[in-house]
Amino acid sequence: MSAAATEAGTLPDAPSGSLLHRIVWHWRHNPKWELWFAWWMMVVFYNLYGVLFFMVTRVQPPPPAWLDASSVVQWFDDRHQGLLVGFAIVFLITGFIVPTNALLAYSMRRMSVSRAFPYSYLVIYSMSAVPGMLLTCVALTVGAMRPDRDPELIHWLYDFAFMAFDGTMGVFLIGSLVWMLAILLDENRVFPKWFAYLNLCNALTEVVVSPAWIFKRGVFAWDGAITWWIDMVVFVIYTTVFITLLRRMIVREDFGTGPLPELRTEEEAAEDARKPSVSMGTAR
Amino acid sequence: MTNVASDGSRPRGGDVQSLADEPAEATGYVPGQPDMWAFVLFEAFLFTGYFVVYMVCRIQNPELYLQSQAQLDLRIGTFNTFVLLTSSWSVARCVQSAREGEFRSALTNVFLTILFGFVFLVSKLLEWAHEIGKGFGFSSNEFFSFYYFLTAIHFLHLLIGFIVLGVVVHQLWSPARRSQELVETGATYWHTIDFLWVIIFALLYVMR
Amino acid sequence: MSSGFEKRLLVVWLALCAMTIVSLLAGSSDGRDAHMPNAAITSSTIAIALIKVRIIFREFMEVRHAPVLLSRLTDLWVLVTAVSLLGTYWAGMAFSTG
Repeated sequence: MSAAATEAGTLPDAPSGSLLHRIVWHWRHNPKWELWFAWWMMVVFYNLYGVLFFMVTRVQPPPPAWLDASSVVQWFDDRHQGLLVGFAIVFLITGFIVPTNALLAYSMRRMSVSRAFPYSYLVIYSMSAVPGMLLTCVALTVGAMRPDRDPELIHWLYDFAFMAFDGTMGVFLIGSLVWMLAILLDENRVFPKWFAYLNLCNALTEVVVSPAWIFKRGVFAWDGAITWWIDMVVFVIYTTVFITLLRRMIVREDFGTGPLPELRTEEEAAEDARKPSVSMGTAR
Repeated sequence: MTNVASDGSRPRGGDVQSLADEPAEATGYVPGQPDMWAFVLFEAFLFTGYFVVYMVCRIQNPELYLQSQAQLDLRIGTFNTFVLLTSSWSVARCVQSAREGEFRSALTNVFLTILFGFVFLVSKLLEWAHEIGKGFGFSSNEFFSFYYFLTAIHFLHLLIGFIVLGVVVHQLWSPARRSQELVETGATYWHTIDFLWVIIFALLYVMR
Repeated sequence: MSSGFEKRLLVVWLALCAMTIVSLLAGSSDGRDAHMPNAAITSSTIAIALIKVRIIFREFMEVRHAPVLLSRLTDLWVLVTAVSLLGTYWAGMAFSTG
């Protein structure tokens, strides 16, 4: 589809008015509708994820790995309602991951690199939701479901849940490296190179999680300063950055196959409009 | 001479050249991609996080750490430090040669850097084997957990460094490429491996 | 390579090696088998290490010629690392003897 040249950021004749009215208008007229939909789904998902995991179910920050069976039963007890309600919602919104991964893969399709990159990324990240999130949620929900179960079984579910969550970083790691490599090789300047290196940082912090398999106490356990806290700081920065960069990508998108045009400020866009010979979306 | 006060102050407005025949370089020149510098600084702060966690754990159990530290071979650590300092030197020389168009010299220097990196790699593997042979593994005690963790994550950066140097060699090899920016970017990455090791060495091997 | 640069890089390398040796000598001044923490040795070790890193930044990584922002950022890192490491260590020493 050729550039139904929407100037970066603003559509001609975009209506003001109620939110619903605007959404419907964009759905009908905005060629970037699917991109924006995916982006908003991603933002909603990550926010819900944060709220559900940290506040509703309170499974993050993770509890200690060294708790004994009776303490673990107590832990489940303290969170009984939150676990059941929170994870019920998580299971419902799991589908939101789909547009998220699609948008990320789209960013790689827009690049000048081989299609192997976005497709392998899609495969990897589709798989990663299973151990990286779903197994944990299932295990913890099962644990909360029957509080009168044998404490040793509940303890087992607890270990299983957190090891699945924190210990299976390998899949995410490879995904980050795929994205990094795509960005470094890309000639369409979809993302700045420093974001490729940030992917490497993220990947390295995921490697750092692996001692969690060995240690039940201390900074290398699944709740440790090194394997979780520092990791989480990097992950939050990384996620915030890529959400922002994806937004910029959508704004810049011209549906071409060449370099993505840079973002123009309003003054620059106005100046462009005054010079008829300057074509829209020329890469700087 | 340039003011290089250890408290970091320096005259504003750029450096004054200190050697008569130094080619006048524009001040305000970022060597390599600024993107790589963003990465270097991010990793540096991340490692500071790890170092602080190490220090916090250490002060809670100084005797254990001191006794375990005595099991490390200071000579290997020192050797490692000299090897990496020298590798930084050779990659800096590579950048300089490339900048002046002396690509043969640049290639020699980058190959030397790879060689020094390889010497470090072998020495580190031997050291780990030696410590494991003495019975000190990753989960032996807290000190050794940190020892293996810090040296391993550093080692991983070293392995990536070989790939980066490979890119530098690839650039320097053919006149069709030879991007000065990429060469400098690669060198910037390699120096990170060196300066991180300087701190790791101080914290694991030398400090009391 | 112009001899100016060659000479400078050599001097820097020698200085870094020399500082390594100085740090080692200071580090073993209590006898390697001493099992007591030693604030003087630790402080000098960390300080020398960070001075070496700053030299690596400024000379090998050419921050000397870089925009002031980069210079400030690298110095900031050195400062943050110094303060956090030494601060933690001294706090630890103070609490253990207090």
